[in-house]
Parts: sequence; structure tokens; C-alpha cells
Amino acid sequence: MGDHQLASHLQEGFLLLNESSADSPIQVMKTSLALAAPGIHITGMNSALQRPPVVSAEAKTLLNTAGFVPTWRPSWGKVRTFGLTFPAGIEFIPVAPAIPVAEGATELKEIGPETPVEEMAGGPPTLPTKRTKIRPPQDALSVQDRLFFLLQPPLENWLKGQELIMPFEPFQYQYEGIAWLFANKAALLADEMGLGKTMQMITALRLLLRAGQVRRVLLVCPKPLIPNWQREFKTWAEEIPVTTVEGDGFRRNLTWRMPGAHVLLANYEVVVRDYQAMIAEAVKNGHDLRDGLGRRTEVECQTFIDGEPASTTGLAQPEAPCPLPRFDLVVLDEAQRTKNRDSLTSKTIRSIPRGRSVCLTGTPIENRPEEMSSLFEFMGVIPPGANPDIRQLSQLSREFILRRTKDLVMKDMPPRLDRDEIIELSPAQRIAYDAAEKEGIMRLNDMGDEVSIQNVFELVLRLKQISNYDPLTQESSKLERLQADMEEIAASGGKAILFSQWTKTIDWLEERMRPYGCLVYHGGIPTPKREPILTKFKNDPDSHIILMSYGTGAVGLNLQFAGYVFLYDRWWNPAVEDQAINRAHRIGCKSQVIVSKFICKDTIEERIDKVLNEKRDMFHRVLGEGDNTNASLSLNAGEIFGLFNMKARTPKGNKSIRPAAPAKDAA
Amino acid sequence: MGCLMAQAAPKAQLGFLGVVNVAGTGFVGGLLVTNQLGRPLEFQCTTPVRPNRTQEILYGPTLTSFVCAELIGKTLYERLQVKPQLIVCDQPEMLVLRSVIALPVALILPKSPRTEEGTIRAGAHQLRLPGDFGSDLELVTEIAKSFPGDADLTEPLERVREALQETLRAGAAA
Repeated sequence: MGDHQLASHLQEGFLLLNESSADSPIQVMKTSLALAAPGIHITGMNSALQRPPVVSAEAKTLLNTAGFVPTWRPSWGKVRTFGLTFPAGIEFIPVAPAIPVAEGATELKEIGPETPVEEMAGGPPTLPTKRTKIRPPQDALSVQDRLFFLLQPPLENWLKGQELIMPFEPFQYQYEGIAWLFANKAALLADEMGLGKTMQMITALRLLLRAGQVRRVLLVCPKPLIPNWQREFKTWAEEIPVTTVEGDGFRRNLTWRMPGAHVLLANYEVVVRDYQAMIAEAVKNGHDLRDGLGRRTEVECQTFIDGEPASTTGLAQPEAPCPLPRFDLVVLDEAQRTKNRDSLTSKTIRSIPRGRSVCLTGTPIENRPEEMSSLFEFMGVIPPGANPDIRQLSQLSREFILRRTKDLVMKDMPPRLDRDEIIELSPAQRIAYDAAEKEGIMRLNDMGDEVSIQNVFELVLRLKQISNYDPLTQESSKLERLQADMEEIAASGGKAILFSQWTKTIDWLEERMRPYGCLVYHGGIPTPKREPILTKFKNDPDSHIILMSYGTGAVGLNLQFAGYVFLYDRWWNPAVEDQAINRAHRIGCKSQVIVSKFICKDTIEERIDKVLNEKRDMFHRVLGEGDNTNASLSLNAGEIFGLFNMKARTPKGNKSIRPAAPAKDAA
Repeated sequence: MGCLMAQAAPKAQLGFLGVVNVAGTGFVGGLLVTNQLGRPLEFQCTTPVRPNRTQEILYGPTLTSFVCAELIGKTLYERLQVKPQLIVCDQPEMLVLRSVIALPVALILPKSPRTEEGTIRAGAHQLRLPGDFGSDLELVTEIAKSFPGDADLTEPLERVREALQETLRAGAAA
């Protein structure tokens, strides 16, 4: 069948398939191409649908080669990268092995001693599971900033790599504290006394220096604690040279500006004196001073220049570099010293140019929650002069304060056993006491409306002194109890610390405690002589008791080798008492600490104790449940008058009354 | 990497290479260079590399190795300003990197109580090197000798992966 024939068949509407014919091998069979009528409505399209398609065919020759060949080359786009380099830290010269035993530590232990490869016969060692990572702070927003923290090694590994001999391995909460201090530019470490704030700060400082985050650090502390910080640095970071700002004005001026000093140690008084002088000089030269964080605010200047008060507002020279020595980090130890934001100390401290601000204190609130505002202003987390309310303070506390209590973290620490020693006055004391009280109350009543808080307070002090010992007969039932206890303590080789409010009482006790190798440590002892006293108390086996004043002995000292604490008379604020007790009950103490609080029965001491306990229970806790060490426990005027069943005669009945701060020893 | 190479030469530097494949995003790689104490010196990471369908078909099973080692690993190494003496990884496909850079590349093997043949004991781990680079064996053995017995070579790689997750989060948030 030729093409023409096939076409004619198609024209006819048939396709011939499988039909054999003589002239064609193709089998063609006829089949109808008529399309079935679709079951649709009749429209103009129907005839078109029924019309047979026009089909034509033509012969084509096959291709010899492929006409289209797709090609592909393995090209990849440019891989984009970004990265960061880490600042070079300060490399200190490693210290040779002979590292002295730390205060209170009996043995040296290297963190995670290395296991020689040869000793691993039993297979690979078990890798440490405890890892404390440094988390980016909340104010680290850029990826680079966050990566900087995330890429730091875990603290356990980092410290292990410092070739550091530690007196003991830090506890987990201390690792967390170090990581927190490392990451945060504004921080208030408010761990309860005895949990190792100093060690955490020094170790964080060490890592910050090595990581290149800080190069110049100023550490401000109360004067009596300077030797303590020096000793702690020697223990925890011996390779870091610490320069103490001391000596005459010329020498101190050189020290402040010494470029190679990485860590400066200064007491509050020196800082205030020297910065005041420098501020005055700067104002005189027309510098426009701002606060230490670059915020425009009033910079206190109480220095006189050429007999005239120095102005607090100099000529505006914004481009001129600040003439005051600048630090990458300023640390305030016992930062509650700056709780009064309007004091010269607070204002001067805030004027120190700095990058980071860290506060250390075990008692961020001694009396009022508002005291934290001053610390927050120093840290730069609230604007100058701002007065956040309790709710805001609480929120700021959660963000910028790290506080752990012993109950929370030191479950394994030996317990502290508090005993209220209720003591009967001796007959002579009782007579003297009753007479003094009767006479005192009569005198107060005679004064009528003229009576002041101070009058009542003087009577309280007098009665407390008689409770300690009768000045006339020298009788003291407290002394008898103390002697009985000391016999036992000395026989067992133990050591005790005794605290009193009065240096006079301490001196009186000194003579009577001589058989027990008594030592004395109070504000009347010159600073250079204090350290040897503590060393002797620790090392001399015949020295069983040290008498301390609350003011001088309550803060910063590490006496964890003492197992007994006597509160011969009571301070007005249990927070201060706790600070004193925690000289002994702190990290490193090997056995329980027995605290004996002497309270004379039916005396003013018993009444004060009752009031303070009631107040402790009622205290509004800003820093969380279970935290009872920051209670606002100072007695107010109403309560002082109430001790004698009297009503406050002043309209300002809630005015707080208490003795001078414990830093100043009573005579 | 705890006190890794505490007794090594002061300038010893190690590179830790890690790549993660995030579904729907692609491959992201990071290279961390640390000093002998495990402290970071430099970190480089890539933006996501996502092969297309053609690349997936044509590279077949070699795709992961190519992307991780030759594409990402090589690029990151070239970007480094602080050059390490050894690159450590824990993904076998990374070993191909050795063929495109002039630096030893070592694979951390899963923990095993016995030392396998042809591996090098380094800290708490065993390292395997790619074949055909005979001189690497001596060099890496020498470096590994200075590792303390408990040196954890996998820890820096965890840091790398955590950093990569952070960059991905930041990229998603941007």
C-alpha cells in the first residue's frame, strides 16, 4: 500500500490495519475513525468534534548522531565565611613549684592530676563529665560577642590548663560563679560569707587577664583586708603581680599611673583621697568630667584649689582624654561600704573611669533594700540618681546579682551549731545591774518629754556592759562560763574566736584568758602587727583563743581552723554577727563550728535578742526565700524605748537607732 | 581540651574542624584553632552550603565528603590567619581534606579499650590518619606524645558545633 493509498484511506475515515495484499507486506485492518459522539450538550463545537482529523504521513530518515547533548561542570559557588580572632591575653611567667600552703588548707591538690599514657593499661581514662561552660551574658547581642563566650573552654579544663596548684578544687557553685564573673561586665557577687567570693574573683580575674579581656584592674577593699587580698592572690594566682597603692602622695601618684601594673590594690580611703586630688586637678585644668562609665553627671569634688572650692563643672572639652587613671575593671570588696550613694566615697568611686564594675559583698542589704541602688548605679545598670522601686530592684537582682547561701550549696559542709547560752548574772552583777536599771529608768522618766533615743541608748549600753562584767567587783558569770568552755577546748587542742563589741571588754578578758595563749586583734592593733597575730594564732599550738572586735575581726579573715566561736556580747544586727561567725565557718573548715551566744537571763540582752528574732522572722526578703542573713534588723526608736516598756517620745518614732558602724570599734 | 599539650612547645596550635548538615539549610562548617591550653585563638565558619538536586545526583555518595572536606574544610583552612599544626576531626569523610591541604588531618576514633593497629594514641583517644601520607604519622605521633593522658580532644569539637548552632540561630533571626 503506497503513501497515496494510505492517505486516501485516511481521508475516508478509516485506518486499515493488518490487511494483507499482494503489493504490500503491511497487514492493514480497516477500523473506523469515527469518533464517538461525546455525551455533551449540543453546542457549536459538536460538529467540529465529530469531524475526522486530517492526518498526513511522510518518510523521515533516522539521525546518525544525537542532536542535543546536555553538558555539566561541577562548579560551586564561592563559599562565604566569617570568623573572629581572639584577643591575645597576658601571659604571665609561671611560678616555680614551691607554692606555700594556703591559709586554712592542709594539703595541696592539683586539679585533675594528669594521667600518664603509660598508666592506661586498662583502656582509655574516663573523661570528666562535669563541665562548666561560660554562657554569653544577656547584653551580648552580636554573633561575634556570643561566639567569644561560647568558644571558651569549660572552666574545669581551662583552669586545669593553667598549670595551677590549687589548695583544693573549686566547688561546682564556685566554677559557676567564676564563669558568671567572667561573662558579666556588671556584676554583684553576693554569696553568703564563707563561700569563697575572694577566690572566685581572683580566679575570674586571672582568666580575664589571660583571655585579654582586661589589662588593668583596680581592687578596692577596706584597709584591714589589704593583707588578706595579698595573701589570697599569692595562693590562687601567684603569677599575677599585685601592686598595693600605699606610701606617700608622690609614690601613690606614680603607682596610679604605672603602666605595667595589671592589678592595683587600694583601700577606700586612699582611693577617695587620691581621686579627689586628681579630680580637683582635672577640674582646674578645665576638663569636663563625667562619671566613670562616661555618663554625664555631677562629679563630686570637695577639694579646694588655691583656697577656693573646686568647681564641679569644668569647661567643656569633650575631646580631651579623661585625666583620671582608667581601669578595665574595678572591683569593690565589701561593697556595702558604698551603700550611701550620696557619700563622698560612693561618688568618688563612681568617678573612676572603668570598663567593668564588679561588687563583692555578703550583705548587699544591711538595712534597707534601697541600699542596692547605690551599688547598681556604680555597676551602671541604672541611670545616675535613679530610684528603682522594690519590684524593679528585685528584677535587677535576678539579672545582676549572683547569691548563693550555704544552705543551698554547701550541703556537705560541716554544720554550724548555734547555742544560746542563757547565763544567770552573778549576785554582785545582779545587784549592780538592777541598781543601774532602776536608776536609769527613773532618770529617763524624770526627763519627761525631754528624753531622747540617745539617753535610752546610753542606758542600754551601760546595762550590756554590766552584763559582761561588774566593773566594781569584776565578777562575771560570762567569764566563768567562758573559762569552763576554754578548759575543755584547750585540753582538746581546739581553737576559739571570741567577739565583743568593746575593746575595753577585750582588754579586760585578755588578762583572764592568758592561760589559754590568748591573742588580741582589734582596731587598736597597728595594721603591720595584725598579720603576725593571725599567723601565730594559726600555727602556735598553745594559742587557743583570739579576742576580736566585731569591727576589725568580722570581715575578710579566714580562720576556718577555729572550731569554736563565742559571741561574748551581741551586736545589734545578726548580719554582722554572721559575718563574724563566718570567719570560722567557711570553706575549708574540717569540722563543725560551735557558736556560743552569751545572753544573760533577765537582762536587756535577753529582751534585745527576743526583738531581733521576731524581726528576723518578719523581714521582707528581697533576695529570695530562705535568705535570712540580710534582715533589716536594726532596732528603731520605738523598739529601743520598748525595751524599758516606754513609749517613744519623738514624733519620728521609727527612726533607726544603733551604734556606729562596726568598723569603728567602741571604746 | 583540658590542659592539652600542657608540656608541649609553647606555640603548639591545633585546629578542630566540624561540619553539621542541617535539613533544609545545608552544610555549615567551623574550624576552631586553639593553643596548647585549649584556649581559642581563631574561629572561622561558613554560611550554609546547599547542594542542588543535580549536584546531589551526580556526586552521589561522594557528595558529603566533597562538601565537607574539599569545599568547606579547604576554604576554612585557607581563611585562617593562625595556622594550626594539625587538624582534628571526628567525621571520617573529612580525611579527604588531607589531599587538598599541606597539613596533617587526623580522625578521632570512637572510644575503644584497645589500641587499634595503625592508629595513634592521643590523650584519651585514638587518631587515624589517611593513607598515602607517610610523613604525617611521625609528625602526629610526636605531637600526640605531649598530650596528657586524659586530654579530651572531642570537647573543642563540641564547642565548634555549639558555635555553629549559634550562627544558624543568629542567621535565622536576622
